[in-house]
Formats: sequence, C-alpha cells, structure tokens
Amino acid sequence: MGPFLEYTVIGLTVGSFYALVALGYTIVYGIIRLINFAQGDLSMVGAFLGWTLLVSFGLQSLPLPIALVLVFVLPMIGTAAVNLVVLEVAYKPLLNKSLLAILISALACSIILSNGAEWKWGAAIQAYPPSLLPSEGFNVGPVHLTFVQVALFVISVLLMGGLYAFIQGTTLGTAMRALAVDHDAARLMGINVNQVIRLAFVLGAMLAAASGVMLGLYYVQIQFTLGFLLGLRAFTAAVLGGIGNIPGAMAGGMLIGLLEAYTTGYISGKWEDVIVFGVLITVLVIRPTGLFGERVAVRM
Amino acid sequence: MSSDDLLGAILLFFVVLAGLRLFAYSRLSEEPRFNGWLNRVDRVPYWSRVIAFLVGIGAIAYVQGDEYFTSVLVGVATYAMLGLGLNIVVGFAGLLDLGYAAFFAIGAYTSALLTTLPQTHWNFFVTVPLAILFTGTAGAILGYPTLRLRSDYLAIVTLGFGEMTRVAFNNWDYAGGPNGILQIPFPEIPKISIGGQSFGYVFQSQFDFLIIGLALLAIAMIFAQNLEHSRLGRGWIAIREDEFAAESVGVPSVRLKLFAYVMGGMWGGLAGGFFATRIGAIDPTSFTFTLSVYALIVIVLGGTGSLPGVLLGALIVVGLPEVLRQFDEQRLLVFGVALLLVILLLPQGLWARIRRRPKPFYGLQEEEAGQVADRILREHQQQMEERDARHAAAGHRVIQEGEAILEVQGVVQQFGGLRAVDNVTFDVKRGEIFSIIGPNGGGKTTLFNCITGVQRPKAGKIFIDGRPVAGLRPHVIAARGVGRTFQGIRLFKQMAVFENVMVGLYPRHRTMTWQALLHTPGERKDEVRTLQESRRWLGFVGLEHLAGRLATELPYADQRRVEIARALAAHPHLVLFDEPAAGMNPTEKLELDGIIRKIRGLGITVVLIEHDMSLVMRISDRIAVLDHGTLIALGKPAQIQQDPAVIEAYLGRDDDEVPVERAQGA
Amino acid sequence: MRCPWNELKGPDGLALLEVNDLHVFYGNIEALKGISIQAEAGQIVAILGGNGAGKTTTLRAISGLLRPRSGSITFGGKSLVGISAHSIVALGLSHVPEGRRIFNVLTVEENLSLGGYLIRSRTQLVKERKAAVYALFPRLAERRLQLAGTLSGGEQQMLAIGRAMMSEPRVLMLDEPSLGLAPILAKSVLRTVREIASRGTTVLLVEQNARQALAIAQRAYVIEVGRVVLEGDASELARDERVQKAYLGGFEGVAAS
Repeated sequence: MGPFLEYTVIGLTVGSFYALVALGYTIVYGIIRLINFAQGDLSMVGAFLGWTLLVSFGLQSLPLPIALVLVFVLPMIGTAAVNLVVLEVAYKPLLNKSLLAILISALACSIILSNGAEWKWGAAIQAYPPSLLPSEGFNVGPVHLTFVQVALFVISVLLMGGLYAFIQGTTLGTAMRALAVDHDAARLMGINVNQVIRLAFVLGAMLAAASGVMLGLYYVQIQFTLGFLLGLRAFTAAVLGGIGNIPGAMAGGMLIGLLEAYTTGYISGKWEDVIVFGVLITVLVIRPTGLFGERVAVRM
Repeated sequence: MSSDDLLGAILLFFVVLAGLRLFAYSRLSEEPRFNGWLNRVDRVPYWSRVIAFLVGIGAIAYVQGDEYFTSVLVGVATYAMLGLGLNIVVGFAGLLDLGYAAFFAIGAYTSALLTTLPQTHWNFFVTVPLAILFTGTAGAILGYPTLRLRSDYLAIVTLGFGEMTRVAFNNWDYAGGPNGILQIPFPEIPKISIGGQSFGYVFQSQFDFLIIGLALLAIAMIFAQNLEHSRLGRGWIAIREDEFAAESVGVPSVRLKLFAYVMGGMWGGLAGGFFATRIGAIDPTSFTFTLSVYALIVIVLGGTGSLPGVLLGALIVVGLPEVLRQFDEQRLLVFGVALLLVILLLPQGLWARIRRRPKPFYGLQEEEAGQVADRILREHQQQMEERDARHAAAGHRVIQEGEAILEVQGVVQQFGGLRAVDNVTFDVKRGEIFSIIGPNGGGKTTLFNCITGVQRPKAGKIFIDGRPVAGLRPHVIAARGVGRTFQGIRLFKQMAVFENVMVGLYPRHRTMTWQALLHTPGERKDEVRTLQESRRWLGFVGLEHLAGRLATELPYADQRRVEIARALAAHPHLVLFDEPAAGMNPTEKLELDGIIRKIRGLGITVVLIEHDMSLVMRISDRIAVLDHGTLIALGKPAQIQQDPAVIEAYLGRDDDEVPVERAQGA
Repeated sequence: MRCPWNELKGPDGLALLEVNDLHVFYGNIEALKGISIQAEAGQIVAILGGNGAGKTTTLRAISGLLRPRSGSITFGGKSLVGISAHSIVALGLSHVPEGRRIFNVLTVEENLSLGGYLIRSRTQLVKERKAAVYALFPRLAERRLQLAGTLSGGEQQMLAIGRAMMSEPRVLMLDEPSLGLAPILAKSVLRTVREIASRGTTVLLVEQNARQALAIAQRAYVIEVGRVVLEGDASELARDERVQKAYLGGFEGVAAS
C-alpha cells in the first residue's frame, strides 16, 4: 500500500503540471482549432523567467511569501506577452489558411522559442535555488509528503479553480465557451472575437508559465529543452480528456501523471512513453473524442 | 567555389526559380504562348524529366568533387524520399502524420538487422524490398484502428506511434537497445566471374552513395507521380477536399486512407533502408519526433501535394542549416525564423501544385458535338445493358421501364426529438422524372441522405433496383449506379473541373494499384478513356470550355452543372439532384431543364428536389410533397397544383392570422 | 421598450437602414450583383426569393459577417462598410442568423447573457432585459437552466430572437425564423415579430413563407440571383402577378399552361 500511495502523490503532483499546460492547449484549440505546439516551450520560458528573477534579481532574498508571489506572477505576465506576440505574428495571418500552414507555423514558433532560450540562457542545465522552499516534509499515515509537493499542488489547484470559476461564472468566460461553438454567432452577440482569442492566449500562457516555475521548484534543474516533453505530455492529456473540454484537460493531466508514476514505479521508466501513448490510442479508438468528449468550434 | 558557396548558390537559384514560377503563373496564366510552352513541357515524359534533373545534380557533385558537398546532397536525397512518402499521406490523402519517423526507423532497422545479423548477412539491395514490405505493414497496423479519427486526433495518435516505435527500439536489446546497430556494411554488388573477369563493386564513397540515393529517389519520384495521376491519386485528393462528397460519388474513403498509410509507409521504408547503410550505424536517437517534424516541414515548405516541392523542401531543410553554419549556435533559431517567414509569406508553399490546366484535353482526339451526344448515348445504353445483364446473372430481377427502381417504404429518420422524415412511402419508376417538393426544413434532403447511405434511417426500408440498401456505405450505393448532387455545392474545390468529373468515374475503373504504380499500357489506356469520357460529360452539360478551371472559379450555376456531370460520369441509372436550380437565373434554368430532359433521354431515372415551381411543374412526371417530414401528397403535376393540402403547406392558409384585407392570394 | 430614436429618420432624409448597390463576392463568384434596400424606422421589411438568391448573403453583409466588394450600407446615417460585426451590434443592429445558431452547449440563461454581452458590466440592466425576454417568451423562463441544445425547434427560435433582443436593437434582422417549424409555431413566431415591430423596432425579415411575410410586412423586396427584381409596398406585392407566379404560386401560373 505504501508505494502505491507514494506513487499516487508523485503522479498527482506531476499531473497537475501537465494539467496546467494541457489547459492552455485545450483553451486555444477549442477556440481556433490550433494545436499550439509552442505551449510546452512557453512553460520553459516561464521557468527561465522565474529562474532569472530568483537568481539574477535576488528575489530569493525577499521574504518567502512575497518571493513566491512574484516568482509566479511576473513570469506569468512575461510569458503572456510572449504568447501574444506569437499569436499576432505567427498565427493571425494564417487563421483562414490551411490547417497545415498554421501547424507548421506553430512548430516554427516552438523551434524559435526553444532555440531562442538556448541563445539567451545557454544550453547548460540551470538550477533553481534549492533553499527557497523548505525541503523537509511530514508523514501522513504511511505517505511522506514534502512541503514543496503540497505547496505546488495547492497552487495548481487554486489556479485551476480560478480558471474554472472564470470560465463558468463570468460573461466573458461564457463568451469563451460560446466561441468554441460558433464564431459567427458570437460576433453577432457583439463579442469581439479577436479580443477573446487574445484572452485565451494570455490565459494559456499564464498557466504554462506557472507550471514551468513549479517544475523548476520541484525538480530544481531546468534546461531549454524541457518544453518538449512537457508539451507532449500535456497535449496527450488534453486529447485524452477530450480536446476543448476544460475539466477534461484537468482530468487528463492528472491521469497522465498517475499513469506515468505507476509505470515508473511498478514496471520501468523505460516504458513510460509506450504505456502513456498506448492508453491514449486505445482510448481514442474506443472513444474517438476523448474521455469527456470534445468541445470544438467549426473552423470558419 | 567553396562547397558552402555552391550550396548557397544552388539554394538561392531554386528559391528564385520558385518565385519566378509563381509569378509567371499569376501573371501569364491567360497568355497563349506561356500555356503552349507549358503544354510542350507536359508532353515530355515525366520519367525523362526526373532523370535529366537528377543526372544534372549528380554531375554538379561530380564536378565539385567535394566529400562534404556530396554528403549534403545525399542527405537531401534521403529527406526527399522521406518527404515523398509523407506527401502521399499528408499531401494527397490529407491525413496529418506527426510520427512519420517511425516508418523511417522500421525501414532502417529492418535493413540494418538483415545485413548485420550473423544468421542473415544479406545484401543491402535484397533487404530494401523487405524493409518496404515491413513498413507497408506497419502503415496498415497504424492506419486500421485510427482511420475514423479526425485529422487533429490523427496528429497526436501518429505522434504517439512514432514515439512508441522509437522507445520500443530503444528498449529492444536484440536491436542493440540505446546503442543501436553498428557496422552496417556498405552496399555491394557481389563479385561474379564472367569469362575469367570478375565484376563486383562495393559502394563506399559519398559519391557512390549519391548515385544510389539519386537512383532510389528517381524511382520514388516516378512512382509517386504515377500514383498521383491515377484514379488512386485522384481519389485521395478528392477525400482530402471533401470526404463526404468523395464517398457519394463512389470513392471508398476508408480503404483509400488505409492505402495511403501503407504507401506512405513503404516510401519511408525505402528512405530508412538507404539511411542505415549510408550512415553505417543507427540508434534510436536518429528517429525522434524532430525528424517527423522536419519531414513535415519538407512537404509544407515545398507546397503540400507537390512533388517538385518535396525536392525543394528537402533541399532547404537539409541545405539551409548547413549554409547557416556560420551562425553556429544560433543556426536552428535562424532556421526557425526563416521557416516562419516563408510560411507567412507563402502559406501554399514555394512550389505549390497548380491544378488548373489551360488545355486539359490537349492531344486528345477531337470529337464533334453530334458525335459526342451519340457516343454518350451508345456508351450509356451499352453500360445499362451490361449492368442489367450482370444484375440478372447475379440472380436479381431486372427492373423494366415503368417498374419501381427506387422504393421507399415507411422510412423514419429522427434527430433528437425532431422527426425529420416521418413514415414516408413512395416509389420511383424506372425512366421517370420524379420531383420532391415542400417547404425548407421539410425533410427532403434527409430523405436523400437516407437513400444514398449517408444516414441510416431509424425505421423503414429502401430498395434500389429491387435490392435493400440499408447499412451500405455511400460509395457502395454509388457504385450500384446511384449518382447525386448536393444542395450546397460540394465540388472538390482545389481540383480542376475535368478532374472533378474524372473522380466521378472512379467506380468504373478496373485498373489495379500496381498497374498505376508502373503506369502500364493498360492503365494508360484506362486513363485516356477516363479523360475522354470526362470531356464528353462536360460537353453534355455544356461546360467543355471551362474544363481546365478550378471548380471554385466557376459561377454557381456552372458549378451545379459540373456536379451534375460528376454524378453522371459513372453511368448511373438513378440520379438524385438536390435543388439543382438554386441560384440560377431564368436562362440557366431553361438550360437545366434541357439537361435534365437529355438525362432522361439516356434512360436515366431522375429524382429532383426543387423549389422552382415552374421548372418542377414543367418537367416532372410525378411529384411528391413533403411537409414536416410527412408525405402530404403524391401525384401528377396537375393534381398537385390543385391539392389544397399542398397549397396550404406552401402558402399558408388564407385565414392566416394576418390583416385579412391584405392577404389576398390566388 | 419604445425607443425615441426609432421615430426618427436618419439625417439627409435617408431611411434608417439604407443599402445601396451592394456587391458581394465569394472568391471569384459574384453572389450579390448590386442590391439596394431601404428600411424606414419601425417598419417590417420582407426580403423574398428562392434558395440561393442571395437573401442570407445580404443580411450577412449588413451585419458585417461578410465584407462587400463595393456599395454602401448606412445605418442612421453612419456607414457600416468595413466595421466589424461586433461593433455593428453595438450600434444597434442585431442579426438572428439562419438556422438559429444558438450556443447549444450553454444554458438558456447563458445564451441570453451573451446576448447582453455588450452591457455585461451593468448587471441590473441585464437582469431587466432578461426579464423582458422571459415576458415575451414565457416558455424560455420555464427552461432557463436547460442546455439550449435540448430545446425544441420552436423554443430554439424563441431563444435566438430573445438573445438578439437582449441588446435592444434598433434594427432586428431575422433569417428564416419559421424554418422547420410546424405551421402553428411558425405563425406564433411571426406574431411575435409583429409585436416586436409594434414596439418600435425595425425588422428586416427573410422568409420563405411569402404570404405570411407579406402579410405582416409594410415593404418587400424580391431577390433573384443576386439582384432585386421587384420591390414595393408589401400589400401591392402580395397582389402582384409576378410574385404570385414566382413565389406564391408556380401552381396557379403553370396550371393555365
């Protein structure tokens, strides 16, 4: 029982990172049917922005709560700005062109972001200051939890809860859901579609950046390539949950995290990818629109 | 000249050439001399053009004589082969594939294992066909369960397939695990002695590899071209453009998609086998997602679906980073920016396939208008007789003129709580023109969809030719001789008009895929016949002069006529036209009237959904009226005109709750 | 709901909504070949014509979903050409598109909230307008929390109209509101349209049910292949033989031949 719970805790922690990035995929995809391949790289950008703040700007010397807030909020803003530039430059002109052209554009953005990061921050592995969060933990029954795990899990739940409340509870959020159904009808309601698309990109980038910072705090080591695997897992999670479906992305992220943890724990880390993708393909063959069903706009 | 400069110069030359070409097409497309020149180029056999080009490339490498330069060209050839395969899947069939590296890997590992294993130690050239066979099978394995997934889901599934394959090789100790396979032998022609002299050769210099690479590439190019210009290629493109419409004119979309995976896999296997022997040592890191992405960039950059575009794309993807070596660390960054710029400026690709043809029937035997009509009639009667004979031979009763060719019995179709078609029964007799009228939303198109197999009715039976059609796929029903057109025109937008009609001939082809690959004389004859027939049908609807245009360039009325020609192309005995007169002006409607009568003259039964009452009343033998899913009247035009229920459904009742003094109808 | 501006004409004696020589292309295809339409404040103006004639295209061009190649559209003296669709709504012109296009994954209430998107910060006003819509369509009130996709065809049409009324438009454009509805429902929808017009809203009505449309309209246009072929007083058009022949009949017209 002990190892099982241990794996579950790890799975949920890592899964929450995936879920955050997956939300970015799902929000953007639901609205403009674009697989924003740069999503994972946005996390990487967020992680490096956080690292820069902590290490170069001396944020780590501030009191912990302030440092913690700043190390999340500032990278979130910065990454949102990056994503807006990506949207305006690389995606807007292609929105009505072929799906393939915009896909290649997304891949190009991913190449540019990761290699731009290499250029800016170097190819070497960088380390988050390990002393920021207390490394000790406590036991709950047979399970050992670290403060980092708890803190990160709480933060991601707060972020997801906030997003969910926004999407479900506000008119603007309702407009985002409406856009996933019918762009023209949304226009006829007076909804500025471009503005809502921008909002989706901002939200997606903020969640990605948050997960990047969490990744840095959790694993300590970061590198410019980290966006790839994270993006891949998150994309898988989004599709598994039913792309365009917000609760689906959250559940999908958690599921992938758990799957990964159990595979590593019980079988071998070598087979992680095979198991994760095997499950995904099986699910899609049985339920072609994911576990929770898709919510996707018809491309105009 | 240094090899970097030469490479840069070649790149620049082809990019400028591509620009000039696009410019020429946009400015000179109406110019007769330009078009005449294009036609002359077209007449030169494709294989000779490919070989001439590749020999030219080989000659440059020979003259330059630089190992490094040659090795870059070998890389270009490998990527080009890869791109040609992916182009079949993505460019032709429109199926997104982000895991194409898997096929490359399977091909490479197959060839490498067979050449290195002590039990086999086979010659490279023997392993290539096996590599192709294996990857083709892998294509089927990937394709079969995923065919019904939509394109975006395919992206992640194929991506997953690619990663799984790589990880599997990484964990497979027999194949060397993470270390991969080392010391893969060079390809060789084994020594044989003829008359005391021994022949034989081991390929080991970069130039040797370039020769093998170019030879394999030539084969890959020619086969890809042959495929594209066969019924299979047209079927793929039709599916890419509009799968629903393709099915309805008789293209078996599921089978064709599976085929695309298999074929695409085979090309990947070829490239993989070549890659393994050339590198000499392979390991799983050669087959990452990045490779799949680069293969995709190759085809999109060049112009999806365009074969010369693949060559250009490969040249850029392999050559540009080499030229950019001076940027050292940042070359991928610069590459990414360049890629973004190209895709933003030319989203269609640098060497986009231009499908419109100024003279599509250039070189075909000319036929006079009178002859055309006779030929069609003769041909059609012959087809009908053959069909009837086949029908009788299969033990079915042949429906005679005046007997019911289409029987609709108690059909019910329901969406949610709404009964779109509610217990409708009627039959259509062979040889008549039968119209279905009624207010919009009355269930007419739904009924068509039930008849053509697009939807399965919730209850009731439909018989065509005395045989039930329940549960048949649309392409099967189309192949049984049912043609249809659509309310909102569904032509294959990016295909030329004559190609649209040629797709309509799909069910009548008898050639096999291998014949298409090899472009055999039999297949060639079949193609010419197809072209000839598409021309006749376009003549039949009066559109021969527009045959080379893209379908979307035509006015609506003409598009509807193209749809009619496409529906007729396979010589159906029953056609269903959904609002053919919508959007037509009175003159065009009159012409349509003539076309429909001509169709009936061929002996084809016509079922019509139409709102234009004067057309319907003029032309129909009988009329059925559907309102809110129910059949409210059925009879000859004169009866329908006087039927109070019909008048009420159409016009509303005279006592409608409106100011009475104004509501004076007839 | 009576609004003072609906009594007014635009400046320069222009009608409230003026469409002049409108040309719209889809790619190379000319869908509208010079359409001119006028709607005076408070009128119901019917647009009739066969499928594919260009009625829907006309409405889409007016509401900014399509960009005309040439021609002018003025609304209260202000040109609408080149203004994006969402800003046109803000000017007071609402479009209920063909096929209703309600947001089927949202609830009735949420659909109405989106109808009031532009006034979303004024919660009190949103509440009042919702109440007004529910008063107009009591059926919707009963189904407030139901997903719109589960409504019947008639209820969906009510929702589509109600949603458009949330912005209190000066001009309401309706594209085939009776499509697919049983006669009794179609009639009740048209009755509602007349009621909306009687409160001062100008209505541009595209209808296939020509007789009913002409009966409630003051003015009407008949469109054929992208051109206006007939226009005039609705009651006159209802008696016009050509309209009879083309749309009301075909029956009577051909019976003679």
